[in-house]
Amino acid sequence: MTCERFEELLSAHLEGELGPAEKLEMDAHAAACAACGRLLSLFRETHEALTGFPEVEPSPELMARLHAIPQKKAFFRPAFDFLLRPDLQPVFAALSVFFIALSFVFLMPQGNGIRKALDRQLHLGYGQVEKLYAKAGSVTDELGSLKNTVVDSFKTLTPAKDQGKKR
Amino acid sequence: MELNEIIRECLGGRQEAWETLMNMYAKRVFNMAYQFCGSRQEAEDLTQEIFLKLYHSLAKFDFQRNFTAWLLALTKNYLIDEYRRTKWEKTQRDEFDERVLSQTSLVGPEESLDRGETRAIIWEGLNNLSTEMRMAVILRDLQGKSYDEMAEILGLPLGTVKSRVNRARLALAEVLKDKKGVLS
Repeated sequence: MTCERFEELLSAHLEGELGPAEKLEMDAHAAACAACGRLLSLFRETHEALTGFPEVEPSPELMARLHAIPQKKAFFRPAFDFLLRPDLQPVFAALSVFFIALSFVFLMPQGNGIRKALDRQLHLGYGQVEKLYAKAGSVTDELGSLKNTVVDSFKTLTPAKDQGKKR
Repeated sequence: MELNEIIRECLGGRQEAWETLMNMYAKRVFNMAYQFCGSRQEAEDLTQEIFLKLYHSLAKFDFQRNFTAWLLALTKNYLIDEYRRTKWEKTQRDEFDERVLSQTSLVGPEESLDRGETRAIIWEGLNNLSTEMRMAVILRDLQGKSYDEMAEILGLPLGTVKSRVNRARLALAEVLKDKKGVLS
């Protein structure tokens, strides 16, 4: 048995989970290897110390505070309970992001620059929309005139057909 | 009264049921917090926070599950999260209480002194362990949980739990070796 394997099996050895063959092997290793023998004894001592820690009693003040939890909660519940609903969390998150962005614009010394840049972007966007609208208007006009031309050409074709039939 | 019945009554807002639940679990949760953080004052605050959390999440409890394991998992998660948030490992643990020695009265005074010294070293040494290893050794050796219960509380496979406990004990044995070497 190697020292590494010996270390791995220490808890199982201590808790009596090993088979007789493995247990014998460990005892033989502990007898032959001084470092592992010492480790086994320290391991036992550690385990004994850990399992010997007594439980501590919580103070009466703590117990009183714990007992009072529902009463405290009931006092705040009517006014604020709706704020704690989990489905409102995304709203709070979005509002936080919005206010942080707002604080960047209004509270930072460079806020003026940000505001100007925002204004510029807004105007650019507005200009683009106006151009698009004007283009859309001219396209509508063109379509209207095209429609009129088509209708006129149909009108001119129809009497010629009628005359052909009469002949 | 059966535990599930007590929980249902807590959910119905009965103060007596809540007090019964507190009397059943406060000591266990407080001790787990105390063993984990090492400070009595800190443990009291943590226990209060954990029960506040329990109060809010009790409605989510699945009655098919084991309540004790569920509560201890909640305690474990809260303690580890809080530890990571505040990094209280930098702070000192409370001095190991010497009065504890009086509880090991079956052995002679010299042996009792030696055991007390070992316990003080181990108590201090818990701070040297990672959160996961510390929690594993607390649940196993200080809280006396079985490996199966631990696997449920920690949400880990049985083999991982066993190896974590073994590594934690080994680390503490190393601390003991170093300290005793210095003392002798």
